[in-house]
Amino acid sequence: MPFNASRRLKVAAAAGLAFLHLPIVLIFLYAFTTEERSFAFPPPGLTAQWFAVAWARSDIWPPLILSLQVACVSTGVALILGTLISAAMAGAKFWGRESLSLLVVLPIALPGVVTGIALRSAIPMLHLDFSWITIVLGHATFCIVIVYNNAVARLRRLSGAILEASADLGANAFQTFRHVLLPNLGTALLAGGMLAFALSFDEVIVTTFTAGTGAASKTLPIWMLDELIRPRQRPVTNVVAIVVFATTFLPILAAYYLTRDTSDSPIASK
Amino acid sequence: MPQTPAVTFCAVTRHFGPVKAVDGVDLTVAEGAFFAMLGPSGSGKTTCLRLISGFERPDHGAIHIFGQDVSAVPPHLRNVNTVFQDYALFPHLSVRDNVAYGLMVKGMGKAHRLAKAEAMLDLVKLADYGARKPAQLSGGQRQRVALARALVNEPKVLLLDEPLGALDLKLREAMQDELKALQRRLGLTFIFVTHDQGEALSMADSLAVFDKGKIAQIGTPAQIYTQPATRFVADFVGSSNLLPPALTLALGGPAQWASLRPEALRLADTGPISGVVQSQRYLGTGTRINLTLNGTDLAAFVPAGSPVPAEGSQVTLTFAPEALHLLGDAP
Amino acid sequence: MSPAIFPATTIASKLTGVFWRHPKLLLGLLLTPPLLWLGVIYLGSLAALLVQSFYSFDDFSGLVIPEFTLTTYAKLASPANLSIILRTLLMALAVTLASAIIAFPVAYYAARYALGRWKAVFYLGVMLPLWSSYLVKVYAFKLILAKEGIVTWAASATHTDWLLNAALALPFVGGASLSSSYLGTFIVFCYVWLPYMILPMQAAIERVPVGLLEASSDLGATARQTFWTVTLPLALPGVIAGSIFTFSLTLGDYIIPQIIGNSASFIGMAVYQLQGTAGNVPLAAAFAVIPILIMLAYLTLARKAGAFDAL
Repeated sequence: MPFNASRRLKVAAAAGLAFLHLPIVLIFLYAFTTEERSFAFPPPGLTAQWFAVAWARSDIWPPLILSLQVACVSTGVALILGTLISAAMAGAKFWGRESLSLLVVLPIALPGVVTGIALRSAIPMLHLDFSWITIVLGHATFCIVIVYNNAVARLRRLSGAILEASADLGANAFQTFRHVLLPNLGTALLAGGMLAFALSFDEVIVTTFTAGTGAASKTLPIWMLDELIRPRQRPVTNVVAIVVFATTFLPILAAYYLTRDTSDSPIASK
Repeated sequence: MPQTPAVTFCAVTRHFGPVKAVDGVDLTVAEGAFFAMLGPSGSGKTTCLRLISGFERPDHGAIHIFGQDVSAVPPHLRNVNTVFQDYALFPHLSVRDNVAYGLMVKGMGKAHRLAKAEAMLDLVKLADYGARKPAQLSGGQRQRVALARALVNEPKVLLLDEPLGALDLKLREAMQDELKALQRRLGLTFIFVTHDQGEALSMADSLAVFDKGKIAQIGTPAQIYTQPATRFVADFVGSSNLLPPALTLALGGPAQWASLRPEALRLADTGPISGVVQSQRYLGTGTRINLTLNGTDLAAFVPAGSPVPAEGSQVTLTFAPEALHLLGDAP
Repeated sequence: MSPAIFPATTIASKLTGVFWRHPKLLLGLLLTPPLLWLGVIYLGSLAALLVQSFYSFDDFSGLVIPEFTLTTYAKLASPANLSIILRTLLMALAVTLASAIIAFPVAYYAARYALGRWKAVFYLGVMLPLWSSYLVKVYAFKLILAKEGIVTWAASATHTDWLLNAALALPFVGGASLSSSYLGTFIVFCYVWLPYMILPMQAAIERVPVGLLEASSDLGATARQTFWTVTLPLALPGVIAGSIFTFSLTLGDYIIPQIIGNSASFIGMAVYQLQGTAGNVPLAAAFAVIPILIMLAYLTLARKAGAFDAL
């Protein structure tokens, strides 16, 4: 190292990291508080009862299951479409390549409220009813870019000639896909899928526009949003927040370990 | 019965937009030849190689491999294999599986193909490296794996794209000898692309010199070196004194472009060329001296052991009349 | 003797030949499904949005009149709506500046000093909050900023209530408590978007060659001079890249100001409320066109500044 970090820089960097993490610790703490009507600090007492209460609450389970369903289907769609785009990008240069990569990024480059209101105004025009399928429509759209970004970061490091080498050695297109492209893109696609799942599972901005109003299209984040605006048993909301946090945290960690050796940081490209 | 050539090009053209990468090339490569395609970067030699392997398709003209028209044959059906410039080894496969890849996709059983891969690794002196990944090998070792991976398929033609370009000088020279020996032993047709004229001259049986998408000259290394067809060839292959028509005329030739190799110029008491030594450069096997005659820079080679005239001294040079080689360029 | 040309025996092999002879065919097959999805569903929706913004809304019948008109955009220019747009822009600007200031030491330390294990710690330390649940993060700040919450407690425990009260007493940005003031909204925005600023900044700083810094100090520059004249200008593309995110995300967010703030409206909230309860989709669409235009202008400027290399 050419210079040593000054004490001030160290403190500022540590404070910045702490600012990012301490609030999440508080979510955990408040799940154990005995005070259910306010966010009094320090909590007057600690109890584990809210986990049992949350488990027994019948209004939490359907949103949880719906969110898992939406996240799984959206991830599946995003994996298929993202893989197709990256396979096309792996091949020769073609006209419109730049425009296509811009089109893929657009759904996350524009504010979520734009994607939301756009779908909201288009869905009735297509005579579609709002349901879990319209939620998937929105989620998959912005999940494609996550899968795609991961795959493209990996492709950039691969020697382009390995696809030609495979054909040169006698492999047909399907053999090249199965024996060369998939093994090399595999972990990147898996990591992209993990991140897409995490993103879809806790998405709320687009979802509020595409979900419709019925209880049957209430995802877990929408349930949480309702609790934030009209709180009932506050610690129960904390328990659900922990569940949401864990459900997104584990895939993110997995994605990190899947792409860790690869020097580039594809998961940085949300 | 005349032997079928390994590869023929007939008026082949390949454009990339406005760029004529390959422009009306005619070419015949005999079976069993060690054929070099020599030229500066962008001269079309690599595109020619890719036309043979099938990664490019000609816009006009026809390519035959062992007499068969390949214009409709995709790369994977051509019994031709390539050693790529950056080797293009599969990073996720072991060295052994890399070598066995071509046999695997053709459906050969596992035991059989791995045995053949091991035998081929043995041939390129990498018998103990089968279990490693390409990333764990040195540049020279990767080059051998790429070679083994291509040769194990017993191709009719082996294509090599700047195969030694990434190696350091010492290793490159050793590999030149090895490749040459390997080609002799296997009796295969090798076509290799290089921008290094020394490499082309020392390895090839015959070579084609490429210039701006066209072939400037085809011939044996000796023909190319001693009888360059054009100024470009004379200048690109070896080092040569290029004489403009007026100077050729002054030196007793017709009014035409000509070339004169530095080693053909001798110090003498009388001769047609005299001038002042402007600089000299020691080359080990001798010394090169530079002088200017009628505005043209000339170089002469003084072999080791002979006295070298000092810078600034007046010298007279002579040459055998047959050393003055006339070039085909328009005056 | 092996043949020079192998026959195509399987369907896969024959198809490969077809793809090779017609390269556009394979490309077309690969791209048709994603283009249908993104081109038809997404671009189609954006087009529908644009079309709707040129329709008008009848306040009495509560119906959308599907005829081309500019009256909706005229309504957008009313003083009340313009103040919403201005408020959102100012907030986005303030959040972007503050995020850049907070992010810099973290990004600088991670890029220049963190090694090996610590590098991974910093990387994950920024990455996890980036990806973890947005709503959970917003909720955490509802806990923190609540009147009875940890900030008030910490202020009284350290006898700095006066500082908190002074901040809340500030005109315009203050309020009854942090969770019901612009100040609170601002803090939450900064927190939620901070990782988006740190990562591109870190990438840009990592790209500044250490040799340049050494050269600068060799030439007699003080650490402060080196920072202002070498490091910062070279890291600027990263700052701009990060600001694309913080700016865009703040422009479009409607949940944070709804949960933490003084219930003043922002563009996102206006869009959400207009299309929801009022059913005035045309005006909502016209509002949504504003962030699109702002972001297009911003992206064009950022591209000129070379920020895309840092993304």
